[in-house]
Amino acid sequence: MILTPEVSWLAILPDLVLALGAAAVLLVEVQWHPVTRVLAWVAGGSIAIAAGITVLQWLAASDAVAAGDLGSLTAFSGMILMDGFAIFGRLALLATTALGVAAGWQFFKDLGRRGAEGLALVLLATTGFSIMVASNNLVMLFLGLEVGSIALYVLAGLTREDRKADEAAIKYFLMGSFASAIFIYGVALMYAGTRQLTILGLGDFLSGFIVSSPGVILIGIGLIVVGLGFKVSAAPFHTWAPDVYQGAPAGIVGYMAGVAKIAGFAAISRILLTAVDDFEASFLPAIAGIAVLSMLLGSVLALVQSDVRRMLAYSGVAHAGFIMTGVVGTSTDGILFYLLAYAIQLVGAFAVVAAVSGSSGSGSALSEYRGLSRRSPVLAGSLTVLLLGMAGLPLTSGFVAKFGVFADAWFNGYEWLVIVAVLASVIAFAFYLRIIVIMYMEDDESALIEVPGVVRLVLGIAVVATLVWGIIPSSLLDVVADALPL
Amino acid sequence: MLTALVLLPVAAAVVVALIPSRRRELHLPVGIALSVLPLALAGYLFWAFQAEAGYQFAVDAVWYEPWGISWSLGVDGISLPLVLLTALLVPIALGASTAISKRTKEFVVYTLLLEAGMIGAFLALDLFLFFVFFEAILIPMYFIIGIWGGERRIYASVKFFIYTALGSALMLAAIIGLAFNYSEQFGTLSFALEDLMQVTLSGGTERWFFAAFALAFAIKVPLFPLHTWLPDAHVEAPTAGSVLLAGVLLKLGTYGLLRFNLSLFPEASVDAVPIMGVLAVIGIIYGALVAIVQPDLKKLVAYSSVSHLGFIVLGTFALTSGGLQGAVIQNVNHGLTTGALFLLVGMIYERRHTKEISEFGGLQKVMPVFAGFFLFMTFASIGLPGLNGFVGEFLVLVGSYATLPVLAIIAAFGVVLAAIYLLWAYERVFTGIPDKEENRVLLDLSPREIGLLAPLAALVLVLGLYPSVLLDKIAPSTESVLDHIESTTDYVTPEPGRLDDVYVAEEGDS
Repeated sequence: MILTPEVSWLAILPDLVLALGAAAVLLVEVQWHPVTRVLAWVAGGSIAIAAGITVLQWLAASDAVAAGDLGSLTAFSGMILMDGFAIFGRLALLATTALGVAAGWQFFKDLGRRGAEGLALVLLATTGFSIMVASNNLVMLFLGLEVGSIALYVLAGLTREDRKADEAAIKYFLMGSFASAIFIYGVALMYAGTRQLTILGLGDFLSGFIVSSPGVILIGIGLIVVGLGFKVSAAPFHTWAPDVYQGAPAGIVGYMAGVAKIAGFAAISRILLTAVDDFEASFLPAIAGIAVLSMLLGSVLALVQSDVRRMLAYSGVAHAGFIMTGVVGTSTDGILFYLLAYAIQLVGAFAVVAAVSGSSGSGSALSEYRGLSRRSPVLAGSLTVLLLGMAGLPLTSGFVAKFGVFADAWFNGYEWLVIVAVLASVIAFAFYLRIIVIMYMEDDESALIEVPGVVRLVLGIAVVATLVWGIIPSSLLDVVADALPL
Repeated sequence: MLTALVLLPVAAAVVVALIPSRRRELHLPVGIALSVLPLALAGYLFWAFQAEAGYQFAVDAVWYEPWGISWSLGVDGISLPLVLLTALLVPIALGASTAISKRTKEFVVYTLLLEAGMIGAFLALDLFLFFVFFEAILIPMYFIIGIWGGERRIYASVKFFIYTALGSALMLAAIIGLAFNYSEQFGTLSFALEDLMQVTLSGGTERWFFAAFALAFAIKVPLFPLHTWLPDAHVEAPTAGSVLLAGVLLKLGTYGLLRFNLSLFPEASVDAVPIMGVLAVIGIIYGALVAIVQPDLKKLVAYSSVSHLGFIVLGTFALTSGGLQGAVIQNVNHGLTTGALFLLVGMIYERRHTKEISEFGGLQKVMPVFAGFFLFMTFASIGLPGLNGFVGEFLVLVGSYATLPVLAIIAAFGVVLAAIYLLWAYERVFTGIPDKEENRVLLDLSPREIGLLAPLAALVLVLGLYPSVLLDKIAPSTESVLDHIESTTDYVTPEPGRLDDVYVAEEGDS
């Protein structure tokens, strides 16, 4: 007998709005061929509506938690979760998307008629990832992951004339599909071992029964981590990242990397910390190993790059390691804080890269940033704050984020990992400083860079967020403290 | 009020930043004028400060409750002189920066932010807050060296940044570890110094934490063999940067050792006395020997810093009343005299665009006022009785003789060596006949430059003749540090090590 799942449109309304927004962008384009600005308003509108609905869901969810009515936090017969974790993840994705679209404005405009495709793909990618952070079912999670990833592959290669972008897109696609296959194999093994597909079901099963063949489950966990590790570019699964960051259109890389990290780590933390947490003793050392490898490899390799985009890619690997440290700390709020703070810094940093590349060349080579403080104080100043934020200097959100995950890891008994992590952050200082040195301490008399208003807005938001969350950490920490998974 | 003291420089920086770039002639004067406000406030603080142990004017506001971090400031006899020194040196350093021709506005803003960070670090009573200030200081200093420095400024600034960041990174790990131990023992999280002092640590853990803190501060001091960043940073930094670096930034290291290492890890501190003492003495002798052979005047002063700061560390780890008081007052002395020496080197550099000692000669005849100030500061730095350096070094040597007699005797040779390298440098630069054409036409100090040096010279004299104006306020606090060590460990200060004995000795000598 097949049971029809109960349907509650409200739970997935934000995702529906985004998907409809994507369709609307395409249809409006086909019907009226408007200027890109109109399409951007349609896309922006759907993001705003989705965000508004998510905020309402947040309020409803906290009421439900306060009333002890945990049942109302699941929908579609437990396929979809509406807990604080999912809702915060969605909000983080939407914020990154909104900033990403604004930062990539020039990119969409330059695409001409294909700009509509770009905007639609962005909305679809966010829809997929949004489903992913909210899903309780591993197959459902896989669907979300694929919807999001495939949209990103296409986005990476959207500028068909650019051979570098083509290469990046193909690489991203091949590696990414491979990772997805590994992930779904891991899900299959989990099912084989437990007959459970839902995350909550797995959690109950594993804490309620003694598993006769833990080996299958452990292998399943391993494959899932490997698959998602690809998506978040954790070492040693990071090899695609530098090429993709370098080749994909600058305007959109920040968004792509940001949402992939948020969704990937949300899935990793949800699966590892709520579904299979009874195996923590077995898999945490391995996660710690990935964390160490990512932090050290990412920081050291970033140090030797002469290309800002590759540098940011390797710094992304290092950040994956730092967030993995938070996973080892088994506390989701530290991870969520880190994800949002980092994603926003990343989008902002790539907005600067895009603006620099808009005036001259690819915006990649370190030498293009020479004397940027003269040519555009706004760009240089914002990038400095964002880089210092990524480096984790105090008074930025990056410091609070790092402090949070380090403290969690220490409190969970991984003192050595924290020591490795603080040393890796020092290595990381060195390459963030290199960019700042080039911008401020070397002079260059080339032309001033005109910064469009929308980019100024994005940078302003990113810088303010970085500083405010750094100086008044409670402004975000109080929020993530409520964003607990069921 | 302490909050105001930290935020005033920030407000001043904002004001300067808001002055439009086309009014560039205004940036420096406004910056100087505004930087006098914190000085006035610090002066009031000094006047209102009661000579008692414990923190005064304490401010405690919750920053983020679940983490147990708070905006917690307070001043005691150990931090008071340093706060005053910072507030004094910033206007002077800015006043000495008229030669800064490019990007004046940014320079003034960074200097004022640096001041806020330094004062904050001296006042912070919460380890999280302290760490925030401690790290935040790096950024403005990094820019000051990197933008307005000499030829190898980028190398020097990055080296400075990485060295200090490396030290503080491990300290961060230790801070987290301390808070973890506190939460295990007391059930809540807290980063307050007072709370963390109550944590009982196992011997091994305490040593590790001590080492992590000591590394951070030893790099900052800098203690041999971690000093290699200092000459580079000093030589490349602009005059104001050198003055603040030597005058205040290095004091964060000695202050940190005294405030945090001794109080948080008393057992490990007592165990570490021989190591720290030996390193300090190596620094004293090594710094002095290297200073002797320096052909560059600024490098000479930089290495003399390594030597002088060795005295402060030696005094701190002597764990006697005299040693601790000497360490605190020597912090101030070194800030005044070395700050002044860097100013003087900067002034001659602005005129001759060289710092090579061999380029000078016979300046006494051309620039008598300059030579007079230089000689005065040289004597103060050597420790001539009647000037401030004597008081500090004497207290340190007497204090450390009680516990580390051999090291104290060796360290005393550092005083002799200081006389050699400073007086020899003076001889080569100032005496004889001015045989180089360029040297004959040099202008003597302008009234502005005299105005910058005069307050420093006056303080050198006051502290030399009447040190108790400062010592009386310092003593209760350093005594309470010793009390804390004696009450938490089985360490007993050997006779004559505590306050009364030292005072008797001092009076008997003078």
